[in-house]
Amino acid sequence: MLVLSRKVNENIVIDGRIIVKVVRTEGNFVKLGIEAPPNVPVHRQEIYDEIQRNNQSALAPSRPAAGHLPGIKGGAGESTPTSPAS
Amino acid sequence: MKTAEANELETLTVNKENIISLPLGLLGFENVKRYVLLSNPEEKPFLWLQMLDGSNQGFVVISPEGLVPDYAPDISEQDVAFLGLKDPADAIILNIVTLGRDGEATVNLKGPIVINRFTLVGKQVIPTNVQHLALRHPLSPLPVAA
Repeated sequence: MLVLSRKVNENIVIDGRIIVKVVRTEGNFVKLGIEAPPNVPVHRQEIYDEIQRNNQSALAPSRPAAGHLPGIKGGAGESTPTSPAS
Repeated sequence: MKTAEANELETLTVNKENIISLPLGLLGFENVKRYVLLSNPEEKPFLWLQMLDGSNQGFVVISPEGLVPDYAPDISEQDVAFLGLKDPADAIILNIVTLGRDGEATVNLKGPIVINRFTLVGKQVIPTNVQHLALRHPLSPLPVAA
């Protein structure tokens, strides 16, 4: 891993298009500002990992048969009006 | 959007208006950028979001409206700009469902897929209020008929 020292308000440039700025430090906290093009997603790693793992476990190998879907409130057979994406 | 027939997929007559483009993919599936969204009245409220990558893989999803009371993900300005949303009503929100072995289902509220209903371009966003949202929100089972 590349390790660089930076002072507050100093930047790092990645690939000529992503700028990471040290905004502020407070004890253990470091506030970073990140400027990246819209097609470069930037996430806190622990949240990224959590959602990524959830996506992996939700992936179905093929479309489940209707009978294998659970009956839930608001679902088929219930009269509660719902408006799925249309 | 027209309701898709249950077996529509097998014949792969996918209507253009059901094709969702996710330019950044889903988290962990960054390479798959095209999906098709299929519905079937018998499967209500579940929808099927299938990868258009030559496999049959996909995700069971729901529209949270009416199913997850008080669900209000805050979408960042960057994501609003990325999706070209001019009004909250321009957005379709889908949440990914995880089906358990014993018939229970949970829904991921932390990583909604937000789609611009006019362009059908979407993104799995992390809302700015993510810390207040559940990763595995249980969907309430139907009460057993008396």
